[in-house]
Amino acid sequence: MEKIIQISHLSKSFGEVKAVQDLSFCVKKGELFAFLGLNGAGKSTTISIMCGQLQKDGGRVEINGKNIDENALEIKRELGVVFQNSVMDKALSVYDNLKTRAALYNLTGKAFEERLQTLAELFDLKEILKRPLGKLSGGQCRRVDVVRALLHKPSILILDEPTTGLDPQTRKTVWGIIDNLRKEENLTVFLTTHYMEEAADADYVIILDSGKIAAQGTPLELKNEYSGDFITLYNIAEEKVQALQKSYEKIKDGYRIAVANTAEATALVVQNPDLFTDYEITKGKMDDVFLAATGKKLTGGEV
Amino acid sequence: MKVVGALIKRNVKCYFKDKAMFITSLITPIILLTLYAVFLYDVYKDSFTMSIPQDLVYDEKLLDGLVGGLLLSSLLAVSTITVSFCANLYMVQDKATKARNDFVIAPVKPYKLAFGYFLATALNGLIISLVATVLGCAYLSFKGWYLSVADVALLLLDVLLLVLLGTSLSSLICYPLTTQGQLSAVGTVISAGYGFICGAYMPLSQYGTGLRNVLTCLPGTYGTSLLRNHALQGVLEEMSAQNFPAEAIEAMKATADCSLEFFGHNVEIWQMYLVLVGAILLFTGLYVLLNYLDAKRLTKAKKVK
Repeated sequence: MEKIIQISHLSKSFGEVKAVQDLSFCVKKGELFAFLGLNGAGKSTTISIMCGQLQKDGGRVEINGKNIDENALEIKRELGVVFQNSVMDKALSVYDNLKTRAALYNLTGKAFEERLQTLAELFDLKEILKRPLGKLSGGQCRRVDVVRALLHKPSILILDEPTTGLDPQTRKTVWGIIDNLRKEENLTVFLTTHYMEEAADADYVIILDSGKIAAQGTPLELKNEYSGDFITLYNIAEEKVQALQKSYEKIKDGYRIAVANTAEATALVVQNPDLFTDYEITKGKMDDVFLAATGKKLTGGEV
Repeated sequence: MKVVGALIKRNVKCYFKDKAMFITSLITPIILLTLYAVFLYDVYKDSFTMSIPQDLVYDEKLLDGLVGGLLLSSLLAVSTITVSFCANLYMVQDKATKARNDFVIAPVKPYKLAFGYFLATALNGLIISLVATVLGCAYLSFKGWYLSVADVALLLLDVLLLVLLGTSLSSLICYPLTTQGQLSAVGTVISAGYGFICGAYMPLSQYGTGLRNVLTCLPGTYGTSLLRNHALQGVLEEMSAQNFPAEAIEAMKATADCSLEFFGHNVEIWQMYLVLVGAILLFTGLYVLLNYLDAKRLTKAKKVK
């Protein structure tokens, strides 16, 4: 697959704080790419450099084959950005906000009205177009933010923690629409998040820690490398689990045993068929991967 | 041009829809109107009456027209500057609320953003000041109208120049500001202080020589004096025609700051225009220079890497 973003040896410091340190990675066209990390890991700094909001201290950023140092304006046309918090004008209507932003990309008149019509239908905005942005709910506001980012048909959609603070239903709706756009318009999505379930759905994940890459790969590769498998046993006495001589944790309705990999899990089941009557084997979760890769829990703080 | 047009439209709409910002910018004109309504009107009228010989018979409307002209010129002197300043604070607010990020990520050259703020500020200042001019003229026609068409045209020219002065000066001052705290501080200082230093609340003639000399170093002072000259010229000519003594008229002109002295030298009307235009060009030039240097610094930083 063609590489649409290529970043090599990127670095950025704010005084003594090294926000991004020698970061190198690439993103393939059409994939959902996730940056996973705690606050201050360097996710937003990297995005700000890609969008031309911040100057890098060193390294190279290429988007769609163009160097950001030489073609910043052209690159900006390729990007649609959804910020962590809405930065549009709360006093103005949704329509006025979108019209102003579209004009920045020379999208005006009939072309703007047509594009707005399409996106308003897709994101169910028709009823709220004339309402002031400040009067909208968090979910409605977020949908407007995504529409603003997509107005000029970018080839890359950058989502900087887009679903933070949203209720699960709205989060699901937003992701449903973005997934459709990816399929229909071959949109590349660059996501930063600290939601594990969002990262688990990505095609490729980079875990950032203190401005450096702590781990990278597909969710499956990461799980295989950084987390073993788990066998969950139900309807069993604790003494029988202890007899297996494996580390385990008590969970609701059963016990969770950690094993190195699926082969070990299978061997354990085959050796103890009487115990394994009600059980399931699962891969580790992204939480486990993150913990293993960084030594930190995503909810914050070191373990 | 479409981009700058869209930015101007957005900035103007935001200013008029942001009630807090809009009202803040009108605080100084409101204070001024209150002062006149409470006591300044009577104080000036009594003061002018005292300079007129007691045996002179004259129409009371002349004095009302004179004090009304004083009010109109003071109102325009403050509103042109404070409205421009507060309207331009939107530039700072955009940085503080990160709304500017939404423009920076778009393929828009920085100078277009700067133009958008500058022209929108000038437009906001002009809209409010022209409304104030119309209302002031309506008030004057009720109290005593002595303005010629030329006087009105010159008043409008003064308003335009003062709005441009307010826009260029505020652009320069607001350019490095980035936080809500700085924004509030500048807004408060300008709203509270400008009425005094431009001679709108009280004419400079009432201040001591030292302070008057300091204030004549500020270009806004000459704007106030120009407005005074053009708002009062008609009524003073009518007084002259009605045989008011020349000394009395000169005394009134001096009291109303129609004639200004710069460290002992009388300043002519054309010199006042020269100061205003020069200040506008200087402040605008410095604002452009700041933007240019910033853009150059960014380009240089990219080349070094």
